[in-house]
Amino acid sequence: MNLEQFIENFAGLFDETPPDAINAGTHFKELEEWSSLVALSVIAMVDEEYDIEFRGDDIRDSQTVEDLFNIVAVRVEEEEF
Amino acid sequence: MSQLTINNVRIAGMSACVPATVEDNRTLPIYKDESEALKVIASTGIERHHKVDDGVTASDLSVKAVEGLLQQMGWEPQDVDCFAYVCTSRDYIAPQTACIMQDRLKLRSDCCVFDLPFGCSGWVYGMSIVASLMSHGTFKRAILVAAETNTRNRNPRDTAVRPLFGDAATATALELDPELARPMNFMYGVDGAGFDAVWAPYGGMRNPVTYESLEEKEVSPGSFRRGVDMIVNGMDVFGFAIKQPPRSIKELIATFNIDVETVDLLLLHQANKFIDEKIRKAIKIPAEKTPYCLEEYGNVTSASIPLTMVSRCREQLAGDMKHCIACGFGVGLAWASMEFYAGGVTIPEVITY
Repeated sequence: MNLEQFIENFAGLFDETPPDAINAGTHFKELEEWSSLVALSVIAMVDEEYDIEFRGDDIRDSQTVEDLFNIVAVRVEEEEF
Repeated sequence: MSQLTINNVRIAGMSACVPATVEDNRTLPIYKDESEALKVIASTGIERHHKVDDGVTASDLSVKAVEGLLQQMGWEPQDVDCFAYVCTSRDYIAPQTACIMQDRLKLRSDCCVFDLPFGCSGWVYGMSIVASLMSHGTFKRAILVAAETNTRNRNPRDTAVRPLFGDAATATALELDPELARPMNFMYGVDGAGFDAVWAPYGGMRNPVTYESLEEKEVSPGSFRRGVDMIVNGMDVFGFAIKQPPRSIKELIATFNIDVETVDLLLLHQANKFIDEKIRKAIKIPAEKTPYCLEEYGNVTSASIPLTMVSRCREQLAGDMKHCIACGFGVGLAWASMEFYAGGVTIPEVITY
């Protein structure tokens, strides 16, 4: 799993927020464009790109983009075993 | 893998009844302006829903749906050997609503009646239960009701659910008919660890009703709920709904060697358009074979697949045999997929209460 690619996938979910405003340390819930609908699109992206089922707590418990990445990375590894 | 094949039973008729009152999502008082409402409509596909007036229950809608169906089919109430009532918004805590329905519908006193308290997977589950009872050979005719008054067990000030859910009742008439019937195939799925994705925490035996559970509390800015109201954790449901239903349908297709090209109708639980389109695309079934009624009725939980068939496929299902796949998914978390054929089905137009 590649963090850079994850950030790119994540940034692609936003319409108004420029991609360079988003990096590993971005507190995504503080972005002006963040909404419950964007949250759903994160769940959809994680399903499509990584075949991982995200639950609400995964988003609620994460603060930064890297937090999200770490959850996905652990699950992908679990699935592989 | 739990799988089931049932022979000799066919869908003979279907009907639906919805309340007359319509609530339009554009003008709901929960949004700050229309553009906020339009954003939600664009992502869910749900424009409006029907809503019961105070005092009207799912069983009231169901009586109308069943009576309209029996009349159109020329069945007498005494012809019905089995009556199943799929509903979670029951009339009373006790007894089962199906018992009261026996009297209201004038069904025989030796009719086999029971409630099935399923949510969104309920029509598919109910079909498998009723049809398999019939396949023993002595029940000739059965009625399966799938009904819900979602606007009553959810809080109207809960902004997350008000625009999504509506009320409806449906009735499906099943007939033992070894000549015309083709096999029905089923697959099941459940994830009890996700029970709190959609649930009503108070009012059962685990957490009985208390004074406090009847107090409305602000659960997120501008959104209110009581302990006895249904909670829908949107993100949990979404994560589940884009994952398990496609898997389940793919299992169904693989297990029963279904040629997807020959499928005429993909009948999905009407959760919301975003979820359902993701499922449809994962199964690779064209849009024109996937009817929707959620724009008009919202998510009507267990009634949503039969309501789609009655309101959108009436003429198609009255004609030649159509090859159908249906998938119900939601509260439980529970889901079920089904392959069946339907044709020559008697369907009156949607009845208004």
